[in-house]
Order: sequence, then C-alpha cells, then structure tokens
Amino acid sequence: MTPKSQTRRAFLHSSKALVALPFLESLGLAKTVTATAAAAPKRMVYLGMGFGVTADTWYPDLKEVGAGYAFPKILKPLAKHQDDLTFIQNLEHQFSNDGHSGSTFWLTGANRYAIAGQSFHNTISADQVAAEYLGKDTRFTSIQLASKSSGSNADGHGPGLSLAWNKHGKPVSALNTPVAAFHRLFSDETMPLEQRQKLLNEQRSVLDTVLSDARSVNRKINKGDADKLDEYFQSIREIEIRLAKEEQWLEVPKKMPNPALKTPEESMEGVEEMRMMFDIMFAAMQVDATRVLSYRMPVNSVISSLGSEISAHSMSHYSSGERRQVSEMRDRTNAKVLADFIDKLKASKEPNGTSLFDNSTVTMGSNLRSVHSLGNCPTIVTGGGSGIKHGRHLVMRDKKTPLCNLWLSQLQGSGIDVKSHGDSTGNIPELFEA
Amino acid sequence: MPKLSALFPLLFSLSALPLLSEEGPLKAIMPEAHAKVFKTYCYDCHDAFSEEGNVNLEDIPFDMGKDIPTAALWQKILDAVNSGEMPPHDEKQIAPEHKTAFLEDLSVQIVNARKILTDNGGVITMRRLNRREYSNTIEALLGVTPDVSNLPADEADHGFDTAGASLFFSPDQLEQYLSTAKDSLKLSMMGERKTSPHKQRIEPEIEANERHSTTLASYKERLSRANAYLSQKEKPPSAFGFLDKTQIRKTKLNTTNWSIQLEDYLKRPETKTGATSIQTIKGGGMQRTRLKPLGHKNEGKYIIRVRAGAYPEAIERLKYLEFSRKLDGSQSTERLGWRKIYGTVENPEIIEFIVDHPPNQRMSYMVSPRTHQGRGDKNLWTLNFYKNGYGTIPGSWIDWVEIEGPITDQEKPASVPEMLFEKPQDWSTEKYAKEVLKRFATRAFRTEKPSEEYLEKLYAQFTTEREKGQKVSQALISPLAIILTSPNFLYMVESSGSQGLLSPQELAVRLSFFLWSSPPDEELFARANDGTLTDPTILAAQTKRLLADPRADRFIESFTHQWLEMARLDMFEFKASLHSKFDNATRESAREEIYATIRLMLEEKTPLKTLLDSDFVVINDVLADFYGLKNVKGSHFRKVTLPKDSPRGGLLGTAAVLAMGSDGVRSSPVERGAWVLRHLLNDPPPPAPANVPQLNRLEDKVLSARELQKAHMEEPQCAQCHNKIDPIGYGLENFTASGAWRNEESILVGNGFMTQKFKKFPIDPAGKLRDGTPFQNFGELKKIIATRGDDFTQGFTEALIAYGLGRPYGFTDYDLAAEILKKSAQNDNTIDAFIQALVQSKQFQTK
Repeated sequence: MTPKSQTRRAFLHSSKALVALPFLESLGLAKTVTATAAAAPKRMVYLGMGFGVTADTWYPDLKEVGAGYAFPKILKPLAKHQDDLTFIQNLEHQFSNDGHSGSTFWLTGANRYAIAGQSFHNTISADQVAAEYLGKDTRFTSIQLASKSSGSNADGHGPGLSLAWNKHGKPVSALNTPVAAFHRLFSDETMPLEQRQKLLNEQRSVLDTVLSDARSVNRKINKGDADKLDEYFQSIREIEIRLAKEEQWLEVPKKMPNPALKTPEESMEGVEEMRMMFDIMFAAMQVDATRVLSYRMPVNSVISSLGSEISAHSMSHYSSGERRQVSEMRDRTNAKVLADFIDKLKASKEPNGTSLFDNSTVTMGSNLRSVHSLGNCPTIVTGGGSGIKHGRHLVMRDKKTPLCNLWLSQLQGSGIDVKSHGDSTGNIPELFEA
Repeated sequence: MPKLSALFPLLFSLSALPLLSEEGPLKAIMPEAHAKVFKTYCYDCHDAFSEEGNVNLEDIPFDMGKDIPTAALWQKILDAVNSGEMPPHDEKQIAPEHKTAFLEDLSVQIVNARKILTDNGGVITMRRLNRREYSNTIEALLGVTPDVSNLPADEADHGFDTAGASLFFSPDQLEQYLSTAKDSLKLSMMGERKTSPHKQRIEPEIEANERHSTTLASYKERLSRANAYLSQKEKPPSAFGFLDKTQIRKTKLNTTNWSIQLEDYLKRPETKTGATSIQTIKGGGMQRTRLKPLGHKNEGKYIIRVRAGAYPEAIERLKYLEFSRKLDGSQSTERLGWRKIYGTVENPEIIEFIVDHPPNQRMSYMVSPRTHQGRGDKNLWTLNFYKNGYGTIPGSWIDWVEIEGPITDQEKPASVPEMLFEKPQDWSTEKYAKEVLKRFATRAFRTEKPSEEYLEKLYAQFTTEREKGQKVSQALISPLAIILTSPNFLYMVESSGSQGLLSPQELAVRLSFFLWSSPPDEELFARANDGTLTDPTILAAQTKRLLADPRADRFIESFTHQWLEMARLDMFEFKASLHSKFDNATRESAREEIYATIRLMLEEKTPLKTLLDSDFVVINDVLADFYGLKNVKGSHFRKVTLPKDSPRGGLLGTAAVLAMGSDGVRSSPVERGAWVLRHLLNDPPPPAPANVPQLNRLEDKVLSARELQKAHMEEPQCAQCHNKIDPIGYGLENFTASGAWRNEESILVGNGFMTQKFKKFPIDPAGKLRDGTPFQNFGELKKIIATRGDDFTQGFTEALIAYGLGRPYGFTDYDLAAEILKKSAQNDNTIDAFIQALVQSKQFQTK
C-alpha cells in the first residue's frame, strides 16, 4: 500500500488538473452552439425497480421478436413509445444467487464471493464508469437518488445505499428525498463568494485534521485493519476531489430550468415522491447539472400510496388475487412514470436541434425478475444516446447472456472507451443492427 | 488446534489452512457416487472432448472447497439442475430419486464450500461503530440522543451488525457524522435551559361532536340529493351534482349505512360530556384525542392523564387506550404504549402515562383505541357493519385528556460540565480551549491519547471560529465535532500488542460494546487503568455488573432480534379482517415478550433450554388477552405460570415466532419449519435456490396449507430440502398466521369482501423431524425439540460468538464453541454462563 501522507496532496493536485473548466458556461451559450452543433453531450439514466416485475404479464411474448410485437397490456401507458424503446430478454448475472437483492449487483455484475475470506464483495457500477467520462464537464459528476421512506430490504433492492458502487466496490450514497435532491441540484447559495471560498478552505482543513488522526491510527494497527481504514482514507480523497470541483464551479451559479421547478414538500411519500424525483432528474438534465443519474425507486411506499394494504415483499410473492393486482398496479405505475419521463425528454431541445431524448440512454430494470428469480432480468432500454435501434423486442439466443454485455454496449455506444464491464463477454451487436 | 497467524491470513493458501476440529476438518466433498449422474446424463455434451458451454465435468474436482472457481462451477451445476435448465428438455432426464440425492448432497456441500472459502481464520476486523453504537456513544458522551436517521442502518441481511468487515465507510458518511456531531453538541450545550411548566386539558367532545354533526349533515344532504334524482326520470345525474348513476347508487348505500352509527353517537348521553371512541370510514377515521403539540423548548418528562371508561359489552381489545405521538409535518405515528381501562362510563378512572419529550422537536401526543396497520380498522368496521348493521362496537369513552410537565427538574446531563468545565480564573482562553479539546478527545477516543499534531489542528479550528466572532463555547463546537468524526472515535481501534493480547483498556471497550453497545463507564475504565481487569475474577465481576445494568437491555434486544431474525415480524402486514386480534399492540408486545423472557432468564439464572419448553410465559395484559390467560393486570411484563393444558411456554408457543412463520394471511409450514431448523435445532437448510420454477399448478385451488406443501414433493429439486423442512411446520399448524390457537384451518374463498366465505379444513399436525423422529401433534413436537437442547445451545453459542467478537462464526471457532459449551454446562447453562465463558476466552481477549 502506498503511504497516504505522500500521495494525498499529489492526488489532489492531479485531480484539480483533471477537472475541466465548466464547459458550457465558460464558453457562453452562443459559442457552445457552434462548438457543439455536431455533438450534444451523452446522458445515462438508470432506474432500478427492486423486487422486479409481474413476470408473466410484463414481458412481451417470446414468440414475437423484432418490430411489431404486441406491447404488454399491463404496460399500456408506455405503449405510445413502442417505436422508441427496446425490450431485451435473456440477460442475467451469472454470479447472482440472492433472491432478495434486485439492485446490489444490477449495475456491477460482481461475484459476491469472489474474494477468499470475505462474505461480501462488489465492483464498480456501470453508471460510475460512465460518470468518470461524462461527468467531467458538469457540476455534478453523477447524481444518485433513492428513497428514505422505505429501507432497501423492504423494497427488494438488497445491500447498498443507491444503485451506484464506486471503483473500490463501496456503496455510493444517494439523495434520499426530493427536498434534498432539489436543494443539492438547484438551490443557490445565498452566501457571498468570498465566504464560500472560505468555507471550502475550512472543509479542507477539517479533512486535514481528521487525516492527521487517521494517520495515528494507521501507525498502530495491523495490515488487515489498515485495509479497513483505507475506506476512510479513500473517503477523504473523494471529498477532496469533490471540493476541488466545487471550487471550479464556485463562481458559476446553479441553474434552474424554465419554467422553474417548485420546491418539493417535506412530507412527500410514495408515488408522489417518485414522480417528483423523475421531475428533478429531468430538470437536472435540462440544465446540464449532471449527465449521469441513477434512481433506486421506492416500491413499498409507492404501492401503499396507491392504496395497497400489503407490503412490497408480500406483493413480490404474488399468486392470484390481491397480490397479483398490486403487483400489476406497480408495473403500470412504473410504466406511466417512465412514459411521462420520455415525453419530457423528447420535448426538450438541445442547442444543436436534437432532443434530450436523442442523446440519452435510459434503462429501467432490476436484477430480480420476480419472486426469487434472477434469470432473464427485466430490461427496457430507451433513448437515442448510445445508438440503439429501438422499436424492437430482442430475445438473446443465449439464455445466459451477461447483463454486463448490455452495460458495455451502452457505455461504448455513448462514446466511452471501455473494453469490458463486470463479467461482460463483449457487446450486443443486435442492439445496433437494424 | 494450531493457531493461525492472525497477521498474515491472506498469505496462506486457503486450502492449506489447518481446519482441524474435534469433528475433523470441515470438508465440502461431493460423494463420488454422484459421478454416475454425470456419466449417465451429462458427458454427452460436457466431457473433456465436447466441453459444451465451456463446461467439462470429466475433470471437475469433487472437493468443491478447493478454490473459488471450483465452488463457482458447482454452484452453476446446482443452479442449472435446480432451474430445470439441465439436462435440456429434449435429453434424457435424471431419475427423480437420483436427482433428489444429487441435489441434496450438492446443496449441503456448496454451503460448506462457502463456509470454507469465506472463513478468514478467526481474524477480527477493526470495526466502525455501527449506527446503534454510534448513537449510544454520543449519548454517553454528550447526554443527548442524536438524530441518526441519515446514517446507514448497518443491519446485515444475514449475521450481525457488529461484523467489522461488513461495516463500510463512504465519503457522504464522513460529512453526515460531522453534521450529526455538530447538531448533538449544540443540543447538549443547551442542557441547562429551563423549560417552563406546561399544562393543558382537552375535552374531546367539543371537537368530536362538531365533526360528527358536520359529517352526518353532509351525509344527509348527499342522500337527499341522491333520493331526489331517484324520484324523477327527466334530469341527468349531473343536475344533482353526481357524476353518474353508479356514484348515486354508492352514495345512497354508504350515506345510509354510515349515518346509523353517527346518529346513535350524537344521541348518547355520554357524548355530551366526553367522546366515545368510534371508528368512522369518512370524517376522521379512528377517534383520536390530540393534545396541542409540545414545542422545541419543551423537552422533559410529562404525564398524560386520561379520564376514561370502558363499555362492558365491547371486545377486550377495544378496552385499551393507545398512546402515540407524531412529529409535526410527518405522516407516520410512533406508538408509545397501551393501558387497559378498568373504569366504566358511569365510574370512569384516571389513567396515567409518562412520556419523554425530546428537545428541539415539535410533536403532538394522542390517545386512541388500539389500531391496526394500514386500512385494517376501516375494513373491520365494514365487516362488522355487514354483520350487525352498526359497525365496530366502540370499547371506550374519554371524558378528558390532559398533559402536565415537565414532572421532574430537568436532570442536567452529567457530561456537559465535564466537557465545558469552568475556566479557572488564571487560565488564558487558549489554555482553556486546548484543555477542553484534549480532555474531550481523550475521552472520545476511549483507549488512545490524541496526538499533539492533531490537537494543534483542532485548536486551529477553534481560532478560525473565534476570528468569526464566535463565543468560546460556540467556537468549540466545530473542533469538538471533528473529534467525533475522527477514526479514533468512529472505529474500535485495537493495536496488536504482545502476542495479540488486547490492552486492558481495549478489553474494557470490547466488553462494554458487547454488553452495552456503548463505551465503558468510569468504573470499568478504572479497572482497566489499574490493570486489574485482566484478572479473571475481576473480569467476571465486571461482566456481571454490566449485565445487571439497564444498559444490558441493548445487548438483549439487539442480539436477540438478530439471532432469531425477528425483522421478519415487520415484513408482512397482517390482514386485520382475518387476524383482528393481532393488531399493533399485540405485534409489538409479542416482540417485547421475547426480550422480556431473556431478561427474566438472565435475572433468575434460568437454563437456556427453558426457551424450548417452560411452564411459564413473560407477558403483559395485551398478550394475556391474546393468549387467553386470566388475571394479568397492568402493562408491565411479568412471569405468569401457565395452566397445564396451555400450548404456550417456550419460543415455539410465542406469538412472535409463530407470526414470523406466516405471510400475514396464512401460516407457512415452510417458514416455520426452516426457522426451527435454523434457530432451535442448529441445522439450517441450504438457502432457497433462486430460479426454481414456480409451482403454479395449485395456484387457483383452495387447499389446506399442508396440502399445498405436498406440491413440493413432486419436483426433486424441491423435495430434497422440503421433505425435511415442511413436516416440522406441520406440527405448528394448530396456530393461525398470527399465532392464535385453532382447531381447523379456515381459508377465505372468493373475492366477496363482505360475505367472507370460508372453506374449512381439519388440521393434521403429525409430522417428523429431519432425522425421521415422528410426532403426532404440537405437544409431542415441542417435547422432542426440548430434548435437543444440545443442538440449541450450540446454535446459541455460535450466534453469541459472532455477535460478541464482531465477525461471522467460522469453522475455526469449533474449539472455542466447545470450550464455552463445556464451561456453561458446569454452570447450569444459564445465559450469563455462556456470556462469561466467551468473555473469559482467549479469543475475546486477543486481537
């Protein structure tokens, strides 16, 4: 292990260099239009559904592949976008065997038991790979959303704080309420610039102080514990990178879309909260606050706000009757919010005349199909950002096609130079062939 | 057993680890006999020559604990056979008896392989304070309870929240610790604030009568409009303010039905002077008497008094008061407790209930009848209406509710003056601030002295704040908060001393976090500092003292909750229309019963196996009603001797355990059987395989729970485990989903909500244990399990080791477990004997 004391400053220095100047704002809008007329920036949005879907009614018929398939009835609100989205069947993670974790490995494909002597292991998630490339020029490298009202267990998401896992395989936390997300993304600091600069320096000196104590601890513990403490050091480094970026953006005011988004109420729960989060994601994309978003969608609070008396877990074990009704209601609701989201993306124009939709890759899905099934993960992809030819129902010939092949295809399709992701064996050429 | 070097575990190849125990090394070997299955059904495609799908089964090592790739390949085989993917449908299928035997061995051995491959040789990873411990530690230092809702919950899906390796740290957490610490410090510095006396009384009839009259008037008005439409034929519904005919029909029906109760309510003489606790569908729902909120500056203990009476004809459940509170602006209600009313409407009594109002929060306190989750109470009312033409018969009446307090002088938290001690006259501000920081850091760090460099940096923080014009105490908040965000505070740091022995201070910390989930108190530190703690007698005496302290409740509750996987009690909502007695009060009391039982066993030094069978229960009045036991008055938990014929006594008879074995609607022999195997017999079945085809054949049939399970026997991949799990569950079929005794199983059929048609099945409680021991009924099952005390204590010991040492129980711990079991047996197997034996073990005292 490298001694932390020496690398930290060097690291900070280089990371400052890496953070490019705010691109759109610094050039001014007029210049931006000419400069980026050819290529608008790519966006990635990942939407995790926890306890999967109602398997026998959610998927299109396996026999109707390609264009012109009968759209699943329970997803009716989404049918109007049939030509602009793709259902993909037969994607899965080979290592998944926990029937209650729909999100933990969804974007990573990791093998929980890959490391001897450890009972939990994860790797970087696709959104964080994307963020490293697409997040350079925006105020927020990536934005993670989740829900506070329901713990991850209650919603079938599994361990983790959001859909995102950093490059060390550690959970990345999320903004858990619409209010928190709104303020982080859109509320401008009322503090004068000079004071904010001072505050940044104070935050750095806080880090410097705790770092001094961390070094004391590091000196007297054994190697195994030092590996554990490394999480603390990594956290300090990541905050420093964030502060460096904040400094770059200090003089640039946050932007609010026009018309402005209303400040969300504190008490929002369930479907209302979920809709608000989608509005916030859209607004963040409109003002280019970030280009990578993920949302670990609430399940329990959503179905209960829709009048369900049963828990999300009860629902996931649907048979006939009430549980199935609730399960399908959940599917319809998710279809509706996605459809509305697509409407907005389509209507939002970029400076070069294309729409946000044309430049985004949006995926809705889960590692869980339904009940405890982990094969054929439910997957809907939409948006033109990675060049996928939409309007089709694709059924992978290999029933165990790695889900990571999709993540890789989307990353590469968005112009990100990666050779593999997770356990990918290559991209999925069918996605791009007409 | 040769001790593995704790320092370099990863340098050893795992297969070379000395895995010996008294039973021999743990192995994960697939019996060679199954090679026949491969030969007969798989080699056509998966031999060394064809290697279809890159799988060659000819060379596969049968020792699957050999390495991770081997285990992963076997896992693939397990998954493929379980899901029915292999052999392919158009190929020869494995004969059911071979398939069952193959899967049975494979699923057990794969679990063993995981144990071998994830075992880290007994290393205890340095652990971050988990959320509970963090909260308790802040409380011990500052005398205030921090708001930790923004920190990760740290509950593991399997295992315990004390496992250091699983307690991660993320950047946002660092910032959350800092802001939580600042808030807590500010709160703690307000400690001396005088709260002004507060008293209010609510006469609930004022609000209730007004509300019910208004609702009734609106029903009448809508009904008259509906009737006006129905008495003519020309005008459309819209002319009468309705959408369509359906709405008119519904309005007529509902307003007619709903008015009956309200008309009666307003006529009752007692509603002139108080409020009868009725349930309505519209217009208020459950009758709740709401006190005006207590504000941010009203912290302290308050007494709520309620003058109330019960209606003798009502059901017992509704003769209680439920006390609850709600944060301003929040949707969710926090339930505080229940009190049974023994007075009547003619002779009301005054019931008192103490609440503790936290600082800096605005909350309303409420009194209502007992509630169900979700829409349960409304659904019950409707069902009752269709039975009696009235609705739920109210059980209580309230004359008035008052709140008064704070009832004692606010106790100033002891640590505040210690932290901000009085500045001696001749000290400079610099000297004072430095001393405050040094003392606080030393205390917060528990075992370690803060470094000079660190203290200097803290002081620099102080001066920065001072330059902004802050008062001394205010300027100290930032550096003090940094201390509470530093690794020496957040982690339980254990340096590796000579031969890995913990220092006495480190031992004190491990001990107090084990039993209190918080840092040592002065006395324990004193025994560490004078070096006597390492003396086995002193260590035993301190362990005993800690266990007798109220703070040991944290051990009882956290350990038991995780050991018995009690989170399941909250996983499903219980359908009130089927399980009306299992409301919030019963569910929460059922959970408390388990803790109270363990607490009593600790106090009375009862042997551990009492949990398998006993002639007593530890219950309150709510549970006494639920269990049908007489003469239990009062909300406190106490020991109650059971009548001879009672099925209660022991974990298997508790509402909590039985309810966990259901989905809130029906009992689940599978969940109950698996729970017994996991927690009573220490013979956990392999985890439920993913991707097993769902058994839909019986989906729409109305069958008894036992009959439904039979489907498991049709598929070998199900049968191989379920033939050991389900038959145990059959023995518990005399209990409903909520744990009430039943002699037949009633299943709701059809979709008619109001008609509530049931199909009834006789119960066949006969079954067998995994080893084939048969039983005829629940009583016999309980008796047999009570004879398996050794398995139970083994399982308990393993859980205790995992919780206490902060890492999963590994097979390297067999010797430790054996030693604890031996020592405990010499001390009547009381719970404290196990704890003492663990604390005295070398592992507990070694890094």
